[in-house]
Amino acid sequence: MIVTIRDGRAGRDVLRRVGEASVLILISLADGPKHGYALIQDIKELADVELGPGTLYGALDRLERLGLIESLPTDDRRHPYRITAPGAAALRTHLDSLERVSAAGRLRLRLGGI
Amino acid sequence: MDDSQAARLVEVTLRCYPARWRRRHGEEAAELAVLLIRDGTPAGSVARSYLAGAAREWLTPRPGRRATAVACALLVVICSLCVSAELLASAGPARAASTSQAQGRARCRPGLLESVPGALTVISRPQLLIWEAGHGWSC
Repeated sequence: MIVTIRDGRAGRDVLRRVGEASVLILISLADGPKHGYALIQDIKELADVELGPGTLYGALDRLERLGLIESLPTDDRRHPYRITAPGAAALRTHLDSLERVSAAGRLRLRLGGI
Repeated sequence: MDDSQAARLVEVTLRCYPARWRRRHGEEAAELAVLLIRDGTPAGSVARSYLAGAAREWLTPRPGRRATAVACALLVVICSLCVSAELLASAGPARAASTSQAQGRARCRPGLLESVPGALTVISRPQLLIWEAGHGWSC
């Protein structure tokens, strides 16, 4: 399945079911291409999550199949990946959705008096 | 665990992946494992992550992979679990036999499988038959 964008707007939140690792990878790739080791280091720094290498490659394959990231050509053994335009749009949609849920949760906590 | 043992362990776990995956990620994955282990990640943890990834890789349906291949892989996993359970179960009655024979034939102790509620009821019967055949008991 390849994610498409109609009229410049992202559709439904396709990242809802891909798992936390995939979302973290997209966030990490949002500021430029990275290879596996750099991704693990960056995600550890930005989210304090230690991504296992098995989880990383599974998520990279899934994101690539969805057309949300692409592998860059290289002569080295390391494959850098970069986020695609549909990937950036999907990430934006997902983060907006998370923000709405987060805001609602915070509001309810205050209403609940905790 | 020294470097060569860690490298060997990772190499073995990487062999668990499908060939297609190894062609694409194999070399990079091995290099990544070396870097992570050098950074202080336990080799066992890296190997476990790759093993889990390999299992997911086999069990995830792909357009090029027929559903029957996935079903066969599942069947192999289930059979392996059953064989392991059977081995465990046959060790249980053997131990029970050595103790209860000494105490007389009146007592018949449950095997390992019976201590797991609701589990492996299908294979528990053959285990019981072997037990009976070996000792002439009826439970």
